[in-house]
Amino acid sequence: MTQTSTVRPGLGEPPPDDILVDVRNLRTSFKVMDGTVPAVDGVSFSLGKGQTLGIVGESGSGKSVTALTIMRLLDIPPAEIGAGSEIWFDGREVLSMPEREMRHLRGNDMAMIFQEPLTSLNPVFTVGDQIAEQVQLHMKVKAKESRDRAIEMLRLVGIPSPERRAKQYPHELSGGMRQRVMIGMALSCEPKLLIADEPTTALDVTVQAQILELLKVIQQRTGAALLLITHDLGVVAEMVDNVIVMYAGQVVEQGTVNEVLIEPRMPYTMGLIESIPTVEKRGGRLSAISGVVPSPFHLPPACRFEPRCPYHWETCREVPPELYQAGPSGRLARCHLQLAEAAQRLDAAVAQHEQNMVVGRRLTGAPDRIGNA
Amino acid sequence: MTTTVAATPIAEPEVHHKLRRRPPSGVRNGRALLQSVAGYAATGLFIISLAVLIGIKGAAAAWVPAAAVAIPLAAILIGVSRFTRTRTKVALALAIGVALLLALLIGYLIVTISAVIEEPNTIFFIQLGLSLPFVLAVVAAFQFSRAVSWFDGTVEHQLRPEDSGARPITAPLTVAAVSTPTALAAAAASTVTTPATISLPPVIEGGDAVAGPPPAPGTIVAPAVVTPLLAVQGLKKHFPIYGGVLRRQIGTVYAVDGVDFEIMPGETFSLVGESGCGKTTLGRTVIQLTPSTDGRVVFDGYELADVDPDDMRPLRRRMQIIFQDPFGSLNPRMPVSDLIGEGLLAQGLDDRKARDKRVEDALELVGLRREYSRRYPHEFSGGQRQRIGVARALALGPDFIVADEPVSALDVSIQSQVLNLLLDLKRDLNLTYMFISHNLSVVQYFSDRVGVMYLGKIVEIGTVEQLYQDPRHPYTVALLSAIPDADPRRRKKRLVLRGDVPSPAAPPSGCRFHTRCWLRERLGNPEICSTIEPELVTFAEEGHRVACHFAAEISQSTVSQAAAEAPAVAAAVAEGE
Repeated sequence: MTQTSTVRPGLGEPPPDDILVDVRNLRTSFKVMDGTVPAVDGVSFSLGKGQTLGIVGESGSGKSVTALTIMRLLDIPPAEIGAGSEIWFDGREVLSMPEREMRHLRGNDMAMIFQEPLTSLNPVFTVGDQIAEQVQLHMKVKAKESRDRAIEMLRLVGIPSPERRAKQYPHELSGGMRQRVMIGMALSCEPKLLIADEPTTALDVTVQAQILELLKVIQQRTGAALLLITHDLGVVAEMVDNVIVMYAGQVVEQGTVNEVLIEPRMPYTMGLIESIPTVEKRGGRLSAISGVVPSPFHLPPACRFEPRCPYHWETCREVPPELYQAGPSGRLARCHLQLAEAAQRLDAAVAQHEQNMVVGRRLTGAPDRIGNA
Repeated sequence: MTTTVAATPIAEPEVHHKLRRRPPSGVRNGRALLQSVAGYAATGLFIISLAVLIGIKGAAAAWVPAAAVAIPLAAILIGVSRFTRTRTKVALALAIGVALLLALLIGYLIVTISAVIEEPNTIFFIQLGLSLPFVLAVVAAFQFSRAVSWFDGTVEHQLRPEDSGARPITAPLTVAAVSTPTALAAAAASTVTTPATISLPPVIEGGDAVAGPPPAPGTIVAPAVVTPLLAVQGLKKHFPIYGGVLRRQIGTVYAVDGVDFEIMPGETFSLVGESGCGKTTLGRTVIQLTPSTDGRVVFDGYELADVDPDDMRPLRRRMQIIFQDPFGSLNPRMPVSDLIGEGLLAQGLDDRKARDKRVEDALELVGLRREYSRRYPHEFSGGQRQRIGVARALALGPDFIVADEPVSALDVSIQSQVLNLLLDLKRDLNLTYMFISHNLSVVQYFSDRVGVMYLGKIVEIGTVEQLYQDPRHPYTVALLSAIPDADPRRRKKRLVLRGDVPSPAAPPSGCRFHTRCWLRERLGNPEICSTIEPELVTFAEEGHRVACHFAAEISQSTVSQAAAEAPAVAAAVAEGE
């Protein structure tokens, strides 16, 4: 399904000036022993300057690969980028850029915060040195200046007594502190785009609140665009304006946070939201999405969510759904429920969703069993 | 369900004394030390005696019995001393003891063979309890007319009843030897020690679990009072920190530092708190996976700290744990049948077929296929692995399960599957859960009562309704405020705590939370917070206990006011402190 070639066809037109990142029909796949894994399969989205966008999905949905492709941090091979894929960043196409230019772009204009700060920081250098190294490399300043900049960054991200902390090694810092260091490092060159890949997953809830608060304040102050990748719908609701839901390498729903989280139009998103335990669902069953994410080698032929979808019918097994318009401009959903002839089904699904959100399913009936993966 | 539990008076946990009681640790350690010292001393004695035996054959007579006593005694004492107490080592020590004894006997027979030849109807024997049946058997089998004790090398005793009066009989052993067959049998029996064992019902019989220790007769509790299934009082678990050149103890981690709570039968009790607050250690200590430093854990009437280690086994069957990490807690080299069956084997279910059947039943119970028992962990997804972890806990038919962050490593859609499964199992199998989690939404959905932990202490405890609707500890308030809500309509101002959890090796003085407390700041930093540690006292409603000097100051308005000042906190974070 994924056609790849080394010869790039002509590029499309650059996006308008106010668009910072424009991803067009991105296909990233991995050649492995057992075949080809289409990790990202035709993803398109754009992110305006200074805006915030969240990518939500379960593990294996392709959200991190999307981010890594934008940063061009994937090894090619085994990764392959499909023909016709384009990523425009600040008026330039990233995928066709020479590596030298890309190195300049990375760190300077786009920076990334990873999930596990302990593995992303070098254990044999002090955190101050690690930030200073990047500053020296990208901003072409003297060692002394870069060290001052590093301390300034540590102060910016709310680390007490930054002069002392700069001389410490990553293992001497707590998880929250390390993530602050990562954020400080990412921001040290004043990037236009900040990609945060599960920035708070490894942290405690109170520290998560601190880091999210910090990211919000810093994003507003520096005016950087934020691409937040997470599996936590709560974090998305707090942090971003627009959101993309990914499933099995595809975008399945897109819109503003309020649209997607309050009025989901795709059964997968509905299921995700319903499965969050809340006070209203106490005493009842959580509605769970049955089954597991399909294996990338055996994707369902048409709709990829069809085997787990409670509302599927024949069409879902025969016709691959497109991203249909599901409301005002920019509101998209990859589900046949959006078709005019399925209006009744959609109403029923929405009604069921509303009900599941309030009461949860009563704790009766057969235990929830899952079959083969 | 929750309210009835909370309203019912809680009885002081009653302790059955059915199980063998373990002496206090001082006595235990002293005894173990004495045992091993005695063992080593006896071994030394034996070696010296051998040397003497080889050197001066004439004087050896006095040493032989001593040596013969010393060897098995040494082996047995070393074997049963607490420092070497594992089944293999005890067995090894006993085997060595028996082997040495046999070697000595053979050597002794060779030494005395000349005497036997000189006087064909005489057998020499050493005056030793263990060898008496042997000597008697030899006497009977070979029709010896008399036996000579080599206790002093000279005294000679007649074995035939008609000759018994010929010589004065002094040694009791010989008295037995010359008496009637009944006395002989008694003497033989007395050499076999009968250990004072307790009789617990067999744990597993023919593949079916039998109930654990039955309640002791006479301890029937009045039905009006609910007896907790698990009662924890003043529980402490400290870990020493070793350092320096001599690896001396240079500090202590107060992981769990004085915790009290009860869990009623059929209840789900949750522990929440940040990482490092001791909730996992508490869970492990409660089911005695790590011994406690101090305090009591009473499980269904058994004082766990006092139960002899050998008697813990049947109790352990009733208390199981589900671990957090479904990847780290399953041995990648074991098929599921062994992973789940290991516990059954440890409980004495030796029959492979019966064990496999139990494993498959457990798999079915958690919604996995029976044939999965032959697969290895890597063949499963995260959610399926966690189901295996649940099946492993369930295979032994427990009453009480400690679930340590069972869903935090799982994706949200899988998380709800596992939560539903746990709820179904609780209902179907009448389980009692102790649920450990840092996710307050999950806890709110899942539990009946909740304890909030901070730095090794419970700071607030109550029913879900009490805690989530009327939190009275500033830490609980902050935790609740930090939950990101997926519903954008409920977006709210957060109350962000500053800093990290202090190190449990050096907890702050007074109230442990005072270094991060927003309420203390609002009240103008009262001194009491940093000097006097607040007690966990009942607040307002029965069952709702709070450890805060100023619990009365917390209300909706103070919280919202504090939250309204949150931008200041955020700005302070950004500006640097």
